[in-house]
Amino acid sequence: MLIRLAGGEVVDPANGLTGKRDVWIKDGFVVEKPVSKRADKTYDVSGCLIMAGAIDIHSHIGGGNVNTARLLLPEQHAAHLKRPLHTPLSNAGWSTFSTGCLYAQMGFTTVVEPAMSPSNALHTHMELADIPIIDKATLAILGNDDFLLSMIRDDASPAMIDDYVAWTVSRSRALGVKVINAGAAAAFKENVRNFAFDDVVPSYGVSSRRIVETLQASVGRLGIPHPLHVHANNLGIAGNAATAAETIQASAGQPLHLAHLQFYGYGTEGKRGFSSEAARLAELVNGNRDVTIDVGQVMFGQTVTISSDVTRQYAGMRTAHPKKSIIFDGDGNGGGIVPYRYRKDYYGSLQWAVGLELFLLIDDPWRVFFTTDHPNGAPFTAYPELFELLMSRDARNAKMAELDRSALELTTLGSISREYTLEEVAVMTRAAPARLLGLDDRGHLGPGAIADIAVYRKGQDIQKMFRDAALVFKDGDLVVRDGVVTHYRWGRALRLNPPPDKGMIKRMQAYHEERYGLSLDWFTFPDSAIARENPFAEVACRS
Amino acid sequence: MVAWIGSRTVPLPAAIEHVAKLLAKSRCPVFSLDSDVHGCRSLIALAERVGATYDHVNGRDLAHEVALHTDIGGFFATATEVRRRADVIVIVGDIPAAHHDLLLSLAATKPDLSRAAGRRWFRINGKGGPALEGELRRRAKVVEVGAPDLPIDAVLGILRASLGGRRTPAALTDIDALLGALGKASFPVFVFSRPTDPASLAMLQGMLIDINRKQRASALFLPSDDDAWGMVLASTWMTGFPPRTGFSTGSPVYDPWLCDIDRMIAAKEADLYLWVSERDEARPPRRGGLPTIALVRSDRPFSGAAVTVRIGKAGLDHDGVVYSSRIGTLRAATATAPSDLPSVAAIAGELQHALQSEDMASC
Repeated sequence: MLIRLAGGEVVDPANGLTGKRDVWIKDGFVVEKPVSKRADKTYDVSGCLIMAGAIDIHSHIGGGNVNTARLLLPEQHAAHLKRPLHTPLSNAGWSTFSTGCLYAQMGFTTVVEPAMSPSNALHTHMELADIPIIDKATLAILGNDDFLLSMIRDDASPAMIDDYVAWTVSRSRALGVKVINAGAAAAFKENVRNFAFDDVVPSYGVSSRRIVETLQASVGRLGIPHPLHVHANNLGIAGNAATAAETIQASAGQPLHLAHLQFYGYGTEGKRGFSSEAARLAELVNGNRDVTIDVGQVMFGQTVTISSDVTRQYAGMRTAHPKKSIIFDGDGNGGGIVPYRYRKDYYGSLQWAVGLELFLLIDDPWRVFFTTDHPNGAPFTAYPELFELLMSRDARNAKMAELDRSALELTTLGSISREYTLEEVAVMTRAAPARLLGLDDRGHLGPGAIADIAVYRKGQDIQKMFRDAALVFKDGDLVVRDGVVTHYRWGRALRLNPPPDKGMIKRMQAYHEERYGLSLDWFTFPDSAIARENPFAEVACRS
Repeated sequence: MVAWIGSRTVPLPAAIEHVAKLLAKSRCPVFSLDSDVHGCRSLIALAERVGATYDHVNGRDLAHEVALHTDIGGFFATATEVRRRADVIVIVGDIPAAHHDLLLSLAATKPDLSRAAGRRWFRINGKGGPALEGELRRRAKVVEVGAPDLPIDAVLGILRASLGGRRTPAALTDIDALLGALGKASFPVFVFSRPTDPASLAMLQGMLIDINRKQRASALFLPSDDDAWGMVLASTWMTGFPPRTGFSTGSPVYDPWLCDIDRMIAAKEADLYLWVSERDEARPPRRGGLPTIALVRSDRPFSGAAVTVRIGKAGLDHDGVVYSSRIGTLRAATATAPSDLPSVAAIAGELQHALQSEDMASC
């Protein structure tokens, strides 16, 4: 079927094609305007913006820890459903079903779950397969697992490291590799409570820095498009901007992605010893073109923190609201679920401001990514409000008037006049994520792109514009109209498939039999286990 | 023969059509489920379609295990990590026979990620607790800690107080050995299951919070039934809630009392009962006067059922996905004796399809 979106204002920075023009869709793809053919279906989108479907590179939407959070907090789900509109979390859903619908309604069509424990890959992919409409992807966590730490300790060859990383990515069907507080979960099992970049995991004598450098190099050699995704040490601690700075400097000329930098933007100034170092970090990022970051913006209200950084989560248990939490020691990874309420007090106000400073002080929208680290900083349903804060200084000033003045005085936010343009929003949420993840088929509206398209009705109310897309197409199917899902379909999980080395498979068989007393079959699965037609779509590694 | 209406053998499509009619007509259907993850997913989707309330076949036991997570939380570890790291294992109360192989495999190994040369075993027991299974007791040289006249929550309370250096109202057998072992341990793990007593769970997790202030410790939770726990996981991601959830309002509502199917049937709220179990020879309880649909592994119709359908078993007749306590997550279960018997998911899919026709007919 030939579809024409007529009369809209296209925002397509990847192709440098921003302006009024029609967009044509055929068989699920964007096509050139056909010669002497009439559209089977025409949508009049005059007065609307047309962008590629948005891509979220870091949102905890499925897997063991996410599901455990649902189980721990049934009352939070009830709150999501029943609270009045326009209150925090009023429409944040917990289920796989509502996750897909809510993302699609905002014009998002691809979302990355950034923390999949490889041992939990089947569970994660089964959850993701139950998220309707959108495409998904995962990042496999490495860096606290005995096999890798032992190899680093024993000075294994780069080829051996690469074989293991490739095997892990392949068998867990991941799109990339993430390291979370490298070595800390392993050290925590040995009763280490603080773990900095140059600290070593006791039983292995391997430092966090060495783990990161090893994985970063391996990801590069394997041609994995997405740079190593790093959750650094010392998250949430006053003075941790120094840790972030160390990590940025350690990128050493190779691509590196730092996750949720807001949570590392803290200094020790002020009466409370908790201040903003966002300006310093932004300057470092601006000066280091190998580094990309996502923000992890904090918004106010009840949420739950979900992280495989078990060291951090254990420390956070004392601030749990409500007073219950789960701390998990798994093989290779830990995890913690701690519910939390961000208040408009000194600390909450400062965290909120740090995130916005990073957004606004990092110059290049191709290197700063739009996230709340859902649900850690806020549920993803806060995105429309966040778009408004970035695009309107007036909206920021109005919000700042509600917050703790002494906290804001320790930030530069009040002096920043920058307002994101629509073009910059499209870069940050479409073009740049596609490039960062190696997804050439999306994030733009050029011929050949898959027809993941969001149409927004232009208006003064930025929140409303981004909350309720006028039309959303997924693979050319109309799935949302006026903010309401009109058609359900199943997306796919995007994955790499580097060919696993046969010698490594044998080693892994022997390892699992010897260390767990179980054959490797217990830890692997065929695609058919997902029980959906074509649950995966392959993305190529770079040669 | 795979289907019966009453006691009459019918082709499967006829049985599906009849069940669809019953579901379409029902104002308050209730489902009791026992299947692999795919079977449960498909039946929960069916429950949403027809506005049913669902629970596991052994919902009462499962409700206690779910409450541990919804009400208390705590410290947990996987069996794989326990095998490699735990230098002290403390069994709390009774562990179902289904997990004895796991415990025996732990008893047969040494922790390779620990500096300890082996592991020491203890068992906490209280009044009325059954004796520990002989082979495990022998192989692991388990030291019993407890008091024959105190309930297990009181025993745990005394242990917790003793660990904190507080005075206790009673003494426990061999408590000094346990306190000494815990004091020296690098990664002690408390193993528990079948939690009939919420106070015990709260006390156990409170004790773990205390221990973790200075050293590491965790707990290995072994569900009473792995398949039931698989259903909890699927229900939680699909609806946001564990079982004892209903769709009577259109949206999922979780309420352990309101959605207790035994209560709903006793109160005559339910008007149709779908009972599903892949276990050999398992049969639904007799519910006089309540139309019952039985999906069971039986070559005979269930006496009194409106419809009986013979089903296959995941991992035997067809491939499936199950929760496994051995690895603490889901695993693919390949069919070991593939057969033509329909899977629960296949039947639920047929019912969804048939219900579409019912919807059209009612228009």
